[in-house]
Amino acid sequence: LTMLTDLEKCPRHLLVCEKSNFLNEKSRHDVHVAGHYFNYKVSVLIPECGTLPSGLKSIVNSIAKYYLVKNFPIYKILEEKFLEKQVKAGSLCALSYKTRIDQDNTFALLPTGKLVLSLDKDTYEDLGLEGQPSQYNHKVPVRYVITVDLADKSLAPGTNKYKRVMWALKEKVQLRSDFLMAKHKPDEEECPLASCFTDYQYKEYKPSVSTQTLSDVPCPVIHSKHLKGQAEESCDSQEFVEWLGAVTAGIECNNEASTFLSTYCCPDPRIIMGKACLCTVTGFLLPENIYQLLEEIRHYFDEPKFAPWSTLTVHGFSDSPVSWSTAEHGFHKGGENMYSFVIFRNDDYWLYMATGAHDACPP
Amino acid sequence: EEPASYERLVLKNASVYHYLRISLVFQDSDKRLSEAQFKQLIISALRDLYGEIGAAFPFDVLKFEENTLKAIIRVLSSGLVKLWSALTLLGSYQNEPCAFRIIQVSPLLLALSGNSRDFE
Repeated sequence: LTMLTDLEKCPRHLLVCEKSNFLNEKSRHDVHVAGHYFNYKVSVLIPECGTLPSGLKSIVNSIAKYYLVKNFPIYKILEEKFLEKQVKAGSLCALSYKTRIDQDNTFALLPTGKLVLSLDKDTYEDLGLEGQPSQYNHKVPVRYVITVDLADKSLAPGTNKYKRVMWALKEKVQLRSDFLMAKHKPDEEECPLASCFTDYQYKEYKPSVSTQTLSDVPCPVIHSKHLKGQAEESCDSQEFVEWLGAVTAGIECNNEASTFLSTYCCPDPRIIMGKACLCTVTGFLLPENIYQLLEEIRHYFDEPKFAPWSTLTVHGFSDSPVSWSTAEHGFHKGGENMYSFVIFRNDDYWLYMATGAHDACPP
Repeated sequence: EEPASYERLVLKNASVYHYLRISLVFQDSDKRLSEAQFKQLIISALRDLYGEIGAAFPFDVLKFEENTLKAIIRVLSSGLVKLWSALTLLGSYQNEPCAFRIIQVSPLLLALSGNSRDFE
């Protein structure tokens, strides 16, 4: 019998739903966007809108380019020139590419100047730098996390600590990986980011954009003041987020309860959206780019619109070693670390934040 | 109109459903299935492993692409392990060797619209 009940368990997961208003002094929407560093995909849904509004279009097209640098050694990040011109100048994000956090060594440079190395036990022991066992180990630690704060004065070039870290990463175990890198407002005149990897194979990418128009989609009625919904009047936030997932994935929302294949149906009460615009951007996206999009969607409602709300959904990299800020992130069955805003006309908003089994509670 | 006051709900393990993005792969034929045949195949995989009663829980084929045999499935969270194991152990369809690949699993349907492990 125990075995049968075990079969009914599923991995732990957390979903946070918040409501607030952008003009509320204590609103932390900006902090949540800025603290989620590694974003892989963003999508915007605007009801009652046939084409992407021009303001959004120009922001989408101006999203920062990013680089894929092949076989880049980590000690290069610590070299004095790179450290001064790129890391300390601010807002450089780097994440190892095609490394899986549940099996490979994974590296990230946060825009705050923290370098995070998530390593298997053997690499950790060979390297000999001080770290912590991963929070998501079983009884015996098999993974360790090292955090090196490059902005810390005690780690300035020339100090013993700096020499020690440099020696470990350059001479002891020369860790290398393919990296995705991007920088907000790079100083292209003085010191272009690309000039730092001329010794390596690299390629520049623009984020890819796809826009589609959806027609006659049933759509739940929601009210910004009622996260839990009101009987007969508006849907709750969980029903809404499932529907949003269905629409984004192109799932039919009009089934009958007796249909053989699927009984999923848009929740009641509902209205029909004549047209809706769904725009998706994929790449290595910086928090600053996401924030610009959020601001632009708010401004979309400056003039009267038919749409009662719009949404902005952001997917994090599932193999990033952090989710929000420095919270450790792992992959177990899934690696979701994502958030989604529902932006209402009057500056009210809902914010969903979700994490999976190997992650802290969202902030 | 008054602005919305701050409220925070933390839902732990609250999702009634889990969602799976899966694909059916045949060893060496480009076999075609209809949506109904696809669902029937999964039902019989469940029945083979757990019997008539053990397999009696509902699941939905939310989306099915006939030309790629990729699908999105919704299942009650309590049925996730059973469904997953039945899919893993399935080995053939009409005597043709085949396998289900589990591409992505999440308690949040919205999470399936992005999979950074696909990122090229």
